[in-house]
Amino acid sequence: MGKPLSARVTALAVATALAVAGCSSATSPAGTNAGGTFVVATGGEPETLNPVLNYGVDGGSLIFDGLVARDGRNQLVPALARELPVVSADGRTVTARLRDGVRFHDGAALTAQDVVFTYQAVLDPKVDSTLRSDLDMLTSVTAPDPSTVVFTLKYAYAPFLQRLTLGIVPAKAFAGQDVNRAEFNRKPVGTGPYRVTSWVPGDRLVLAANEKYWGGKPANSGVVVAFVADDNVRAQRMRAGEFDAAELAPKLAAGFDGQPGHRVHRVPTADYRGVMLPMGNPVLGDPAIRRALNAAVDRQAMVTGVLGGAGEPAFGPVPPSSDFAEPSIAGKPAADLATAAAVLDAAGWRPGPDGVRVKDGRPAAFTLMYPATDSLRKELALAVTADAKKAGITVTPEGLTWDAITPRMKTDALVMGYGTPYDPDFVSYKLFGSALAGQGFFNPGRYVSPVVDKALQDGRDNADPATRKAAYATFQKQLATDLPWVFLTYLQHTYVVRDAVVGVTPRVEPHEHDVANSLWWNIDTWTRTS
Amino acid sequence: MTAAGPVRGARRSRRLAGAGAVIRRRLLVAVPVLAATSAGMFALGAASPIDPAQQYAGAAAFTTSEENLAQIRANWGVDDPLPVQYARWVGNLLQGDLGWSTSRHEPVTAVLAARAGWTLLLVGAALVLVLLASLLLGTLAAYRRGGWFDRALRASAYAVQSMPVFWLGLAAIAVFALSLGWLPAGGLTDITTTGTDPADVARHLILPVTVLALSQAPWFVLFIRDAVADSLRDDHVLAARARGLPGRTVLFGHALRTALLPFLTLVGTHLPELVGGAVLVETVFSLPGLGAVTVQAALGSDFPLLAATTLATTVVVLTANLLTDLGYAAADPRVRLDD
Amino acid sequence: MTDLAAPSRLRRPRRPVPRTGRAGVAVAAVVLAGAVAACLLAPVLWPLDQSAVELGAIRLAPSGEHPAGTDDLGRDVLHRSLYGLRISLLVGAIAALVATVIGGCVGAVAGTVGGWVDRALMRVVDTIAALPHLLLGIFVVAMLRPSLGAVILSIGLTHWLSTARIVRSELLSLRTRPFIDAAISGGASRARVLTRHLLPHVLPRLALATTLMVPHAVWHETALSFLGLGLPPHLASLGNMINDGQRSLLTGAWWASLTPGLVLIVVTLALATLTGRWRDRLDPRVRAELNL
Repeated sequence: MGKPLSARVTALAVATALAVAGCSSATSPAGTNAGGTFVVATGGEPETLNPVLNYGVDGGSLIFDGLVARDGRNQLVPALARELPVVSADGRTVTARLRDGVRFHDGAALTAQDVVFTYQAVLDPKVDSTLRSDLDMLTSVTAPDPSTVVFTLKYAYAPFLQRLTLGIVPAKAFAGQDVNRAEFNRKPVGTGPYRVTSWVPGDRLVLAANEKYWGGKPANSGVVVAFVADDNVRAQRMRAGEFDAAELAPKLAAGFDGQPGHRVHRVPTADYRGVMLPMGNPVLGDPAIRRALNAAVDRQAMVTGVLGGAGEPAFGPVPPSSDFAEPSIAGKPAADLATAAAVLDAAGWRPGPDGVRVKDGRPAAFTLMYPATDSLRKELALAVTADAKKAGITVTPEGLTWDAITPRMKTDALVMGYGTPYDPDFVSYKLFGSALAGQGFFNPGRYVSPVVDKALQDGRDNADPATRKAAYATFQKQLATDLPWVFLTYLQHTYVVRDAVVGVTPRVEPHEHDVANSLWWNIDTWTRTS
Repeated sequence: MTAAGPVRGARRSRRLAGAGAVIRRRLLVAVPVLAATSAGMFALGAASPIDPAQQYAGAAAFTTSEENLAQIRANWGVDDPLPVQYARWVGNLLQGDLGWSTSRHEPVTAVLAARAGWTLLLVGAALVLVLLASLLLGTLAAYRRGGWFDRALRASAYAVQSMPVFWLGLAAIAVFALSLGWLPAGGLTDITTTGTDPADVARHLILPVTVLALSQAPWFVLFIRDAVADSLRDDHVLAARARGLPGRTVLFGHALRTALLPFLTLVGTHLPELVGGAVLVETVFSLPGLGAVTVQAALGSDFPLLAATTLATTVVVLTANLLTDLGYAAADPRVRLDD
Repeated sequence: MTDLAAPSRLRRPRRPVPRTGRAGVAVAAVVLAGAVAACLLAPVLWPLDQSAVELGAIRLAPSGEHPAGTDDLGRDVLHRSLYGLRISLLVGAIAALVATVIGGCVGAVAGTVGGWVDRALMRVVDTIAALPHLLLGIFVVAMLRPSLGAVILSIGLTHWLSTARIVRSELLSLRTRPFIDAAISGGASRARVLTRHLLPHVLPRLALATTLMVPHAVWHETALSFLGLGLPPHLASLGNMINDGQRSLLTGAWWASLTPGLVLIVVTLALATLTGRWRDRLDPRVRAELNL
């Protein structure tokens, strides 16, 4: 044998080299970072560093401060506001008094005008900000004196203070400029613990400590955020010792478990994944099918098999870590095929000759869409497909792009995910209320429940914590009965951190996290053991 | 190569006398080509079903209202009729403004300025490397056609050809960055440095350039090998050998020279393939080049950036073609430019 | 510009093909025949549910039950590699066929009509050739949305250029040959000359171009899948499998990408070895045109 054999040997050698390199656990000599600079790596690169255009909206932005911030338990604490802003009795006026002596990185003093400018920019239709949708209760922002800001609302909005984490930008920097295209968006000036030294898109963001930070000088001299889009490459570079901390996919992070010199953090989140079941689908419109699916899915297997253990079963849109979570809605983590079969039998879905259940000549079958580029949602979709098959329901998974998915959301099921830990109103009001049903991603399955509508409205209108808790308990119970979604899992965001790093304080994270709001939200207090 | 006598030099300069006219004529052709390409890009983009505003919002699209997105589209003018958008783009282009990239949130000129250099460096270095290596290896293989070296080279060429570039890249990272620790696994400079020190950049580019060169090598090596092997049977080469010239002189002085001419013209046509490989290599090694943004622009219906990168690539390729033609004319006495 | 695909010149007698080369071709033929047979028979002998997963059996090392191990979702790697090969060969073959049909038509029109039509068509070919075809392919897939048809079209639509050039130059060189002159002066119609005299000469070249394009098309499918623009991600294609398996590489499950990778390499090598004999008879410049 001539050419083919030698070529195959070459191929085999390359493949073996790949395999050996993959198994080997050798860590290269870790490069020590000079001058107390921390290097963190993430896949999510912000497109702009301007809070008005959606950078670090929920705080932890490293460069900016909001009027308020969140502590390690996600409780609101005053930041640029001297104390938590005061809400009037009718809930429609909110007054914030600014902290004295706060300066921007360029030395200019922070005034109420800067706060007014920031919020007005968000509301300005000419500014391409998607935050406007979150602040649609806001009528006006005024500054009666240089250290006071008054927000006037269209209607009482209980969690309004939670919206005040938005980073404040200096009005002066935008004088006579188009906010969308200002130089500021790449070279921002804030009040936060770090100032921007340079940003090479696609490569890194270099931050230097703000020695005059109002909250105290940072414990280290700077931070470099490396942007590495590919999961594997990020893991390989972490292993090569280039980073102090990196966000990794759960399975890749698991590879660092028990490795000397590294520690894996599995951070609880409010980031859920579930299957949205549209009411307009002839099969899914039947509550029995939805209940059977809810019983048939093996959430525990998804957590261990798909998430590599970095997650927990989900039964509703309010995470267990939230004060508003209703414990009674939790079901069994493992599949309960007996219940599924009983529900289907009772509703008249009889097993056909091929095992698929049939009712009135209609087979129990539906299409489950997932975004093609999201491998986690693909795997969850396939897991649901396999579980449903055991219950006699045929699921056809379809990987599509978003533009192909959106027009079909009212008739075909979809693996969706989102969630923030800050307030149950934030996502759920739009996602499960009937008022906005069918608009974009708002309640795409057109679920309508007067009970849920009223509970969501009560939660929004009332400031009293006990009333709100009761309202959201009603909401969660009703969802668990009607099952417009089958919730599958809450994710845990997984990070690998070097052992030498001191001061890592994980807090419950939202869906969106990149430079801002990740494990390194308090990196200004991180130090290193020598 | 061999020293050129005065007569030969004069003849060569006469041959190149038509070069100016050729360049002018080529430019006249290039303008309609570029216009057609850019118009085609816009037409393709307009047919795309992707909503740029939704792409822009990213995950926030989940909580963003329809009016909010519609307002953003209106701000960008992306709902205007296609001819209006194209006319606006051409008008701005003539004033030196390439437009605003909706996927990168910065002027297109800024994107190109920051990234095109790195892609050119990557492609250029890989091209030089692959040219040198393939000339040497291909010629040696051709000399002993059918020998063990030839067979091994061809077999490896076929093997490499069937390996995806990104696979080669990951293998290189696994071996040279992780197991051996010789070279960095990605990025452009050491992650803690602030400047771009040429030595540091060079060290970071070794793996990507080698991988890109390796992935393109089969085409170059096989071509050189075949062409040299063929020209070894040409009359003038056989004559040179019959005259008793040493094997090395015949091989590199006569056979390779003959084979080089058609090779030169083909390098230009192979350039787009190299750029395509660079897209994948940049992705694997997280290099801040044009590749990744182009993919992002294609997915986000970012016409201005797409049109600009396409035009830039086309200009580079057309220039390379022109240069290879001029080089061809300078090297081959039978080709005249002014006819 | 110089005519790139010049008609092949007279060949000198070649040295005989080495014995080992013949054995190689035989092995390649057996491998390829086996692969094609396995692909054709797979749905009958060993049916696969594309969407099945087994979360209780993830990342199992190769064993008697799973000779090539299982992947991230507990799916048998060998079983899926076989189906991956099936899809990849199908995509490669159809895409190559599409490219050949488009290129053949354009080349035939340019080569037989000639004049300004020829010049215009060749200008279009040059223009498209100046664009990186991976980017063009990405464009086509992004527009049509990733799917089997879109991937086939995107490869077909970007790979017809060399075929067009080859057919055109072949026709141009044929037109000057005496037997065509004889046919035309004998009163044969244009269509008759084309179908009876020109086509039989061009067809072998076309068939060769198609065969040679298959490995390249398979490669393109994997590249598109790597960028997330390929076939539906839960479909077992070699590109998807290598892409998925690459994620398991760092977690120690090297077997998930090994088998699909080897299958891809072995089959493309077999194809290349088989076509290598024909390939060697081509003029080097034509060979390079075909991107070989």
